[in-house]
Amino acid sequence: MQIKYILYVLAMPFTFNIAYAQRRDTLKKDTVNIKQLKEVVVTGTRTPKSLQQVPIPITRITADEIKKKGLVRLNEVLAEQTGMTILDDPHGQGIQIQGFDPAYTMILIDGLPLIGRNTGILELSRITTNNIDRIEIVKGPTSSLYGSEAMAGVVNIITADPVKGISGDVATRYGTNNTADLTLNSAYKNDRFYISGFANRYSSDGYTLQSSSGLPTVSPFAGYTLNGKSSYKIDDRTTIKLSVRYYTNDQDSRYLVDNRYAGGTGTEKDFNIAPVITHRFTDKLLSTLQLYRSTYKTNSDVRYEDDKSVYDQTYFNQAFNRAELQNDYAVKDNLKLTAGAGGQYETVEATRYTKLQSFTSGYGYFQADWLPVKKLDVIAGGRYDMHSVYKSQFSPKLAASYALSSKFTVLGSAGKGYKAPDFRQLYLNFTNAEVGYSVFGYEEASAGIQRLQQAGQIETILIDPATLKSLNAESSTAFNLGYRYKPTNKLYWTANLFRNNITNLIETAAIAIKTNGQSVFSYFNLNKVYTQGVETDLSYQLFKPLQVAAGFQYLEAYDQDVLDQIAAGKVFTKDPETNLTKVIKRSDYGGLLGRSKYTYNVRVNYQEDKTGINASIRAIYRGRYGYKDTDGNGIVNRNDEYTKGYVLVNASLSKPFLKDAFRVQLTAQNLLNYKDAQVILNLPGRLIYAGITYNFNKK
Amino acid sequence: MNKFTTLSLALSSAIILLASSCSKNSDDPTPAVSKLTTKTVADLDGSTAAAYYSLSTGAQITGADTASTKWDIKFKGTSIFINGGTSGTGTTQAQIVSNTFETLTTAPTANYKSDAAGTPAISGWYTYTATTEPQHAILTVPGKIIVLKTSAGNYAKVEIISYYKGNPNTTTATFADLATRPASRFYTFRFAYQGDGTTSFK
Repeated sequence: MQIKYILYVLAMPFTFNIAYAQRRDTLKKDTVNIKQLKEVVVTGTRTPKSLQQVPIPITRITADEIKKKGLVRLNEVLAEQTGMTILDDPHGQGIQIQGFDPAYTMILIDGLPLIGRNTGILELSRITTNNIDRIEIVKGPTSSLYGSEAMAGVVNIITADPVKGISGDVATRYGTNNTADLTLNSAYKNDRFYISGFANRYSSDGYTLQSSSGLPTVSPFAGYTLNGKSSYKIDDRTTIKLSVRYYTNDQDSRYLVDNRYAGGTGTEKDFNIAPVITHRFTDKLLSTLQLYRSTYKTNSDVRYEDDKSVYDQTYFNQAFNRAELQNDYAVKDNLKLTAGAGGQYETVEATRYTKLQSFTSGYGYFQADWLPVKKLDVIAGGRYDMHSVYKSQFSPKLAASYALSSKFTVLGSAGKGYKAPDFRQLYLNFTNAEVGYSVFGYEEASAGIQRLQQAGQIETILIDPATLKSLNAESSTAFNLGYRYKPTNKLYWTANLFRNNITNLIETAAIAIKTNGQSVFSYFNLNKVYTQGVETDLSYQLFKPLQVAAGFQYLEAYDQDVLDQIAAGKVFTKDPETNLTKVIKRSDYGGLLGRSKYTYNVRVNYQEDKTGINASIRAIYRGRYGYKDTDGNGIVNRNDEYTKGYVLVNASLSKPFLKDAFRVQLTAQNLLNYKDAQVILNLPGRLIYAGITYNFNKK
Repeated sequence: MNKFTTLSLALSSAIILLASSCSKNSDDPTPAVSKLTTKTVADLDGSTAAAYYSLSTGAQITGADTASTKWDIKFKGTSIFINGGTSGTGTTQAQIVSNTFETLTTAPTANYKSDAAGTPAISGWYTYTATTEPQHAILTVPGKIIVLKTSAGNYAKVEIISYYKGNPNTTTATFADLATRPASRFYTFRFAYQGDGTTSFK
């Protein structure tokens, strides 16, 4: 019912615009096109492309926008985007796109993937938004270019190239919970060479939502990022570039274990190095050779506070190595081909793995970008991934955009995405010391069960490990259809309909019962789910300094097996008033946990050109979502199984001084101080920050 | 025109069929009289000791009779036992069927089990919430209907409704608060007992 209404509203611009386009088409002004061409994006096709033309849903957030709002970490920026939700999870702050868990979105810096996930979540506050040019977000599967993980989409952080001469800046932000962000940037650039670097410190005292527990919700931490980037133009055709990034973070922890306190420090270290050489062989052929190594290490030592004995000591070391060659060939002005090939070697060694494990993989990808007529842009591509452990994957993609007029573009795409089983799902060998259950990765299940059997710890085998089917990659087929509408420079309206059919989702299931009554789990390709919905965003320059904008997403995410069970009348609930069993109807089913059906935001921005004052206020609503199952049927259906919907109001005020050399800013997050101490642990309440930035440039 | 004739033909034949089937039913000889008794038991007290219950008489069994075949079902903490196997002197068997109490109109004929050491015939009728709100609660699982074949050879179906005194709404703040939560081990359940030996619960 609701979706029909939404679709109707979204279809409105088609009806009036098509008529309008027919009349005005011949009067198309080139100035508009030039302006639009400036807004270049690279993430959707791995080649520079105009934002208006690229045929897949893409969002572009500029550094200017981020700085004016006083935001400093990636999670803060993404939390305010239409169609994106930061999830509350004890393993970190990750992003949900089109109803996918954070594990299915790839996070890139300058096109290179970051590694280091905790149960699939890459902590987004690890990434500073200092020294960036822009963030590009592609929604929908992008495995045709990026391979595994890019199933929901990719977030690509594009770092800034320095300006000519010597430049630098100092930026600080400080506020609630003693949260401080401090950055020092400097750079030098001449005609052929540049070097730039920054150091950033991000620290906080954390916060406690339930003070009576004596345990912090988020423990104090201090992290440092060091970054260096250099480029040298050997001649007009050849450029070499090197970027290095190092991140380290120390965080305290405190737990209550059987009425004893345990505490300690955990450290994580993330290191990336990426040398690149680009060479333009002819006007038509550009080649890029890229090497990349990334390591991610954590270790923690947690001891009982009373007698200093060890409660938990763990380490985790992961390494990712890649070599890749990409060739971009412009056959004609209207036909561009991209082809690339690469090899990867990954290792992991950790407390919870039996030994050092490694993956070797190779891949090739191809893309054709063709404009048969000026208004139509067709992109076809695919990627083939070969892997040492799981089945090879082919991920094709076809996308097209058509400019009905210079102001109105429709775009549609269909593609496949996949996510390979990760190290955890293949090799985990873990027994929970307190509760006593065990989890084995697919490759470890047989040996693990055998070990437990020899130790006399197995009561019954539920599934013989010898009969386990080998674990396959999770895969999706996705469809996106939308438009971009820019009737004047004042109005910009985008909308996108999406549908993702996901199969082979990897889930845990019990394979044996232990003598202590606990289960032994392993991983299986089990579920079939789908997500679908619609997303729209509209911004409008009301009058000169004032811009209003709003975004909205409607999302459905369902487990197909549950739907089948409901159709068969096999899913039940209890009426909370009488505690009597009732059969569940299709309309009672709330879908997958953690998915809000409705999310929306309203943004107002005031930009005064004379004084440079920028004031902005954003309200972000997240509708209710299921977070638990209390009636024991395994699904979300009853009102008490949902959180309440809530609004976060963020505001910022900034003003430049002395010809933009200084900028002073105030930032507030969650002004209404919304908290749900029982359920939503990543909302610490109202946060107020003040910041000052000084920058200089000598030509 | 042609359509109308087909339609009216179909309609009239349907009416005739319906009418004839109706008259057939009313011609049936006297139907068997069902000996079905249905009852809801509120707050059977198992808080101090195990509670024994007879489904055939619809009464609690106490004293020396708890060692006889007079009881059918026994509640002890979160465990439910049946009179037979390792639990009693009778021959009661049971199984759990996924259904609602109302729509389960026929007892299955096979797959009944007796209680055995460590593996009672009835399990999985509740969930323990641990640290999820409401914390440390025993909540009955929906759609778990216990079907028994009693020592007397009669069939019965049982739905466990509540583990707490007064059959409280478990989604309220009063229930979530351990200080105001009603006492546990007070069993509310409803059952239907078919005394004629058939599997029918109608």
